Amino acid sequence: MTFNLSRRAFTLTALSALAAPALISPTKALAQSGRVVAATFPGTWEDAYRTILTPMVKEAGYDLTIAPALAQDQIAKLMASPGQPPYDALLVSPGQSAILIEAGLIEKIDPTKLKNWDKLAPMAQNEWGPYVTVEVNGIAYNPEVVEKPSGYKALFEDPQYAGQVAQIGFGSNTATMAWTEINKLYGGTYDNMQPVFDLIKDHLKDLIIATSGSNQMTMYQQGEVAVFMASTGNVAKLKELGMPAEFAHPESGSPAVPVSIHLVKGASDPDAVYAYMDAAISAAAQTQLGEAPTAMIPTNTEVPFSSVVAEYVTPEQLAAAVYPDWAAINKHRAEWTETFDRIVSQ
Amino acid sequence: MIRKDTLLAWPMIAFMVLFFLAPLLLLLGISLRGAEGGWGIGNFVAFLDDPFERGVLVRTLLLGAKVTGLVSLLALPLVMLYWHAGPRLRGVILVCALLPMLTANVVRTFAWVVILGRNGPISQTMLALGLVDRPFSLLYTEMGLIMALAQIELPLLLLPVFSVLNRADRATLDAAEVLGAGRWRAWFSAIFPQIIPAVLAGWVLVFASATTSYVTQSVIGGARLIYLPRFVYREVGVLFQWPSAAAISILLLISTGIIMLGLTMLARHERLRAHG
Repeated sequence: MTFNLSRRAFTLTALSALAAPALISPTKALAQSGRVVAATFPGTWEDAYRTILTPMVKEAGYDLTIAPALAQDQIAKLMASPGQPPYDALLVSPGQSAILIEAGLIEKIDPTKLKNWDKLAPMAQNEWGPYVTVEVNGIAYNPEVVEKPSGYKALFEDPQYAGQVAQIGFGSNTATMAWTEINKLYGGTYDNMQPVFDLIKDHLKDLIIATSGSNQMTMYQQGEVAVFMASTGNVAKLKELGMPAEFAHPESGSPAVPVSIHLVKGASDPDAVYAYMDAAISAAAQTQLGEAPTAMIPTNTEVPFSSVVAEYVTPEQLAAAVYPDWAAINKHRAEWTETFDRIVSQ
Repeated sequence: MIRKDTLLAWPMIAFMVLFFLAPLLLLLGISLRGAEGGWGIGNFVAFLDDPFERGVLVRTLLLGAKVTGLVSLLALPLVMLYWHAGPRLRGVILVCALLPMLTANVVRTFAWVVILGRNGPISQTMLALGLVDRPFSLLYTEMGLIMALAQIELPLLLLPVFSVLNRADRATLDAAEVLGAGRWRAWFSAIFPQIIPAVLAGWVLVFASATTSYVTQSVIGGARLIYLPRFVYREVGVLFQWPSAAAISILLLISTGIIMLGLTMLARHERLRAHG
């Protein structure tokens, strides 16, 4: 038996098929004027930004949708949909910013559209988007299991840390900064990472290699590890969860990394993105974000370090922090990632 | 001109073409894109030429085989129990088999983090029994990963087998026993052949699911056990090498596809079907 498909039925079917992608594409549906879809790191960042910034952006007349995604995932998603960005604003570190700039995925901002721009510390006035905080990294440790590490070298040379330290590969910014600093301590440079790879090979049986920062936190909570490379925010979060955790500054200085908000090229409503940026750098928001569990270091000069932040970092320690060379890191990162995987693979 | 009796299938066919076949062809297209532009099979050759990367593929397939083996061992007593159980107990077994599927894979995986850890029940029980002298962890070990995946994938084998057992003819078992077969022999010669196609279908599901289970492999297996799904993620999310990631995905698809096709053909084999 055969069936003649009428022109009307064919038209309806074709229209339905054309409409289907729009129905199932939430990012497309969200990409409207008056709304900003902002990528934020999952977890404490996501919760804090949603709670604190959404009402502020609303007050400015825009809707804010927080979309949790790791920095590398944000880039991967942007690259996957050129011309139709899934986000209007990104939250990344300089390592990722360099990739985004090179790929032409973000644009320079107009500071005159930010009321709070002049209140930012000069180092936070980045032409590609304001720095909203500076993450200070170091060593998180469980004081009930191990003594406070004197620095990175102790983790490899003091036997009390054997089998207690979690590490991750070069996919993570925190880990990458730690590895490059450790490499320097053992005589390496950005162009010669062999010392750190030799060190990993020599201590492989004592190292627990996790897949991500959050995976490390899970292992720490379960008592599987007692030490891991972390930001002050990670330690604040563990403490808030009732875990025994302390933060140690490495002897060579704590690697620091600013976190910036970027305006995505082709954002559906740039004014909404500016409203979001302005809220994130405002004194009101940064005062709240300075408290636990986010404990963010403010970049707005009107906001003093909160007592929680001061527990981990003093302005002097921040001034002595080490700012890695992300251009050099990005140049070698792929090669380091592959080498690391080959060394640790069982 | 469209056959009227196939009309109902067209939306599904259109859906599959739009959302499965088209993305698959797109993936294939991306995999053939060269790093310096142009087209070719360079990404495939680069992967297969590298002993480390080839090893990751083999390890992934072996993981699927090991999980399928353990799932089969775990399922056997449950299947026997189900066969001998009355309707009420069958209901209980079915609910127990289904229960894990009612929670998200992520939840089940994190439950296993607790179970396999050095403070978890396995380590603590063995310590209490004096079988080990200090707590130990099965996290980040292949044994721990296989155990977790086996429990997570178990329903995928049990459900098709239970479904066949519900329709299995008990008279064949009685006939075998009347003809002098012992209990075990009667079961294996009269009932087992009937469930073989369901077992093979279950194996296909378990194998495919175990080899592609990115979350469980990453969380339980850690970074030192590298399997293809995490390798693909690394290419996309860390190295931004989309063509290479697409080529690896295609290779994973082909290699698991060949094994699944083999199992499916086996399930359709005349001798097996004759028993089904």
